[in-house]
Amino acid sequence: MDLLQRFALGEIDAFETLVRQFQGEVYGWIVRVVRDPGVAEDLTVETFWRMYRARTQFRAEGNFAGWARRIATNLALDHLKRRRPEQSLVDELAGEARPDPVLRREMREGIQRAFRGLPAKLQVAATLALVEERPYEEIAEALGTSVGAVKLRVFRAVRILRKRLDRFRSQDLVERT
Amino acid sequence: MSEHDEREIREALKQAFPPINRELGRDLWPAVLRKLAARPTRVPWYDWALIGVSAGVLLFFPQLILVFAYHL
Repeated sequence: MDLLQRFALGEIDAFETLVRQFQGEVYGWIVRVVRDPGVAEDLTVETFWRMYRARTQFRAEGNFAGWARRIATNLALDHLKRRRPEQSLVDELAGEARPDPVLRREMREGIQRAFRGLPAKLQVAATLALVEERPYEEIAEALGTSVGAVKLRVFRAVRILRKRLDRFRSQDLVERT
Repeated sequence: MSEHDEREIREALKQAFPPINRELGRDLWPAVLRKLAARPTRVPWYDWALIGVSAGVLLFFPQLILVFAYHL
């Protein structure tokens, strides 16, 4: 009996092997979306816990990694919906890795605020497509939707961000003159 | 919305959100195991409420037991 069949039957040893095999991949996917290592660890644990609870629904010939990614993406989406935009902005700035000489701090804050103000579904699609540059097919599979729907979400996110950034720039210009 | 817009937004986002470390720093299996042990499957409160209401109805209207049995 192979590993996935044993997992589906509830064998804890098989599940342990699968967790150890896929935890890095699941964590890497979640942290791309939520951009917070602590939250990503918690959501990775939650992902595997849910997978174990739903193991009877898993077909042994199925794609374990794809299934994990789908559950992980839904959990990340729920997290983004619950998170207050102001809080995420503070976290993001606190964890800033390097100063950028081109883009001023206020501009970065403006972009981050505008981005965090987007609906969670648009945020996820735009983060994965534009920041992380993941293929549309992969994003569609993780979101359980079509490539066309993902492209539409990215298009809507870009359109909203474009408007907000233009408004921010014009305000900034007025303040400086 | 042009390709230029998308490119510009992409660049702005990349600068606003610096690359994040995607490496998992520790083994999460112990945490998964703890969670499995800590959260046994519980019956939600609304299921208990439904059982209570059903039991009350059958207690006060025992003739409904026949109707109930017919539909089983």
